[in-house]
Amino acid sequence: MSTTTVSTGTSKRLTSRPQALRAYYPILAQFTAVIILIAFFAIQNPLFFSLTNFQNIGMQSSVLLLVALAGTLVIMIGSIDLSVGATVVLATLITAIAVDIYGSAGGIALAVLTGAIVGLVNGGLLVYLKVPSFLATLGMMSVLGGIAGHISGGIAIVYQNWGYTDLVNGSFLMGLPNVATVALLSAVVLAFVSLRTKFGRYLYAIGGGEVVASNSGVPINRFKIWAFVVCGALCGLAGALLAGQVGAGTPAAGSAILLNSIAAIVMGGTALSGGVGGPHRTILGVLLIAILSNGMDVTEVGGFTQEIVKGLVIIIAVALTTDRKKYQFIK
Amino acid sequence: MSSTANTALALELDGISKAYNGIPAVQNICFKLKKHHVLGLVGENGAGKSTILGVINGVVSPDAGHMRIYGKAATFGHPDEAARHGVATVFQEQGLVPQLPVYENMFLGRENKFSVGGVLRRRSMIAEAQAVLDELQIDNVDPCAVTGDLSFGQRQLVEIAKAFALARVYPVEPIILLDEPTSALSEKEAGKLFDGIQHWRTKASIIIVSHSMADIFRCCDDIVALKDGRGVAQLDAKDTSPDKLHELIVGRKREEEYYKEFRQRKPGERVVLSIQRIRKDPVVSEISFDVREGEIVGFAGVLGAGKAVVASMVAGLTPRDGGEVMIEGKPIASGSSFQAISQGIGYVPAERNLAGIIGAHTLEWNLTLPGLSRVMGRSGMVISARKSAEVTNHWLKRLKVRAPGGGTIARNLSGGNQQKVVFAKWLARGVKVLVLDEPGRGLDVGAKEEIYELIRDIASEGTAVLLISDNLPELIGLSNRILVMRKGQVTAEFQADAGAKPAESAIVKHMI
Repeated sequence: MSTTTVSTGTSKRLTSRPQALRAYYPILAQFTAVIILIAFFAIQNPLFFSLTNFQNIGMQSSVLLLVALAGTLVIMIGSIDLSVGATVVLATLITAIAVDIYGSAGGIALAVLTGAIVGLVNGGLLVYLKVPSFLATLGMMSVLGGIAGHISGGIAIVYQNWGYTDLVNGSFLMGLPNVATVALLSAVVLAFVSLRTKFGRYLYAIGGGEVVASNSGVPINRFKIWAFVVCGALCGLAGALLAGQVGAGTPAAGSAILLNSIAAIVMGGTALSGGVGGPHRTILGVLLIAILSNGMDVTEVGGFTQEIVKGLVIIIAVALTTDRKKYQFIK
Repeated sequence: MSSTANTALALELDGISKAYNGIPAVQNICFKLKKHHVLGLVGENGAGKSTILGVINGVVSPDAGHMRIYGKAATFGHPDEAARHGVATVFQEQGLVPQLPVYENMFLGRENKFSVGGVLRRRSMIAEAQAVLDELQIDNVDPCAVTGDLSFGQRQLVEIAKAFALARVYPVEPIILLDEPTSALSEKEAGKLFDGIQHWRTKASIIIVSHSMADIFRCCDDIVALKDGRGVAQLDAKDTSPDKLHELIVGRKREEEYYKEFRQRKPGERVVLSIQRIRKDPVVSEISFDVREGEIVGFAGVLGAGKAVVASMVAGLTPRDGGEVMIEGKPIASGSSFQAISQGIGYVPAERNLAGIIGAHTLEWNLTLPGLSRVMGRSGMVISARKSAEVTNHWLKRLKVRAPGGGTIARNLSGGNQQKVVFAKWLARGVKVLVLDEPGRGLDVGAKEEIYELIRDIASEGTAVLLISDNLPELIGLSNRILVMRKGQVTAEFQADAGAKPAESAIVKHMI
């Protein structure tokens, strides 16, 4: 490991230990933040620090974790998907309708397929029509919201297939609700895929330096589309699970999911400029957001105040994680 | 060096020095620009021309030295102050806002003159702009046209007009800095520009930076020759010749040691890379050549001659408009870097930070990127941490990259070490052809020498090397064979065997 550094002049002195430590600063900061939040809310309301409440946090954050993981893949390549919330909403409606016709498996499959198609369109708009992802997915968000409105007429679609609700909320593994199992499993798989497969490495490369990646033989367009497709499919899955938790397809809640997921991704350390961070980092971000939301609920902070706090949290997190060297101008 | 104001001088530089990261860019530069004179600033790439322009127009703060504009001492580092003294720069990359009409560009940042209570008087701006254009006898530019719709040559005229427009706002005669003004102009447009300069010089003083000897001798009264960041001479254009000047700016003997000439070997018989009549309209027209195993083929040419486009077409990055690229007889589809790489072409780009290395990632990630399939585990799906680390450590050691390990973030390395990592990317993948675009650019002397050594290693192992370089001594020193390009065509071919290298002047003759 230790190459002796006898430089011929200008090469910078590099010492391995401080640099390696510095890489862990953000993660240390996040852990500290989690502990401080837990301590703070526990003092405010002792009920916060209970097994039931932690189970609650787990239940509440499962869907958020899936959506945040999905969004991470797109943000890793330096794009953004603003339609994740709307995709989830549409998927809950599709699930609610489909589970009564095709059964549980059919409902999940259709929701995932719907999400994947949305992702394919988003990716296609970016790659082939060169519409910036910010705008393509902003438009998509509106389109999907409209479709959801048409399908539902603005009210929840309650389904009759109780077996599906049991499946999602039941437990196959160590008393963990299945919805949480799926979310955690997805997190582990995606973290592994990002760090140890070609797909993941290419996403990092595209986000870190698209020209470099292209020069190195990475089929940029194909992998950009894949990032969006996987993102959409995961949002579809998240929607299916949400419908299972609620017992209905819900036409609302899209914007809250979008905001929370982006907050979680950025808090986790995946910079909006792409190339750094990743799914493994997002897990911590989701934990932070989930504890913050739940803690504010438990300590009876009003909904409007919660929105203000979360908005500020996003802004501060972006300010802290932005790699200013990478930009000449900020637009 | 008297400090009394000398009104016959427009500009005077005295002892200007500037270093970046400890590497001197210019040292002790002194020259004088007389009023209504045209002064040519010549030198090779990296000789310090842009730094000097930057100092004059206020963008660069030098470490030492003085500058006087019309006899008054000028402070450095304030572009706005330079502008108020009449200094205006016409850059290679143009400094106009393409979305704005011509007249707004001409008075950009100086709108106060036309402002009544914050509202701009559009009509008087247009009239004033037209007056300036008339005065300069520029008749093919409409002040109301959208700047982005104009041709390159027209936009350049707008920039020059902008410089004169300055003189209407501030009561000074402009000092106009032209940076490579003809590099993107047609012969006819260039002619018009030089006619213009003869006319405009009665109202301004002009500095021209150019690669082209022809340009310099066409319009300059005085010539300042730069070499390696030092001013070697200020000459009267009448007393010198292009040959003499060229000797001055190149002037150093090729150091055979430096380019490892003794390691140059005779190329093999087998043709590895075969290029047949590739073209890219309008920059490259029908070029054919072969590169044999172990051969280094160099491409010479001025900026814009098309040599970089040839490299980019061979690497599959620029789609070609015709012709074939073949590796060991197998053709490669146009514009497919993916296919080019899988057939064994590696590309080391000129813009290392933009195109060669991902600064935010580790050396290991950078190094394994083109050859990820080679570090997969048994399943072929998952990257093996062990193999990846092995490959990385092997190449970091082999190329003597000075870094603590593969986990080091790439941007923390010096330029020379980063460049070695870019080479390692391709060596780790295994290549039959390596395309090198300006491999020594931006590196200090020691780092360059290491890269040259590396290039010799690569060729000795039988890899075919295509070398593009603006640095002639480097090109001559390293290549087995040199093709010279001018305006998209190969104008000459030189054999460059060790001990029998062609002279720079012979090559330059075919470049310009």
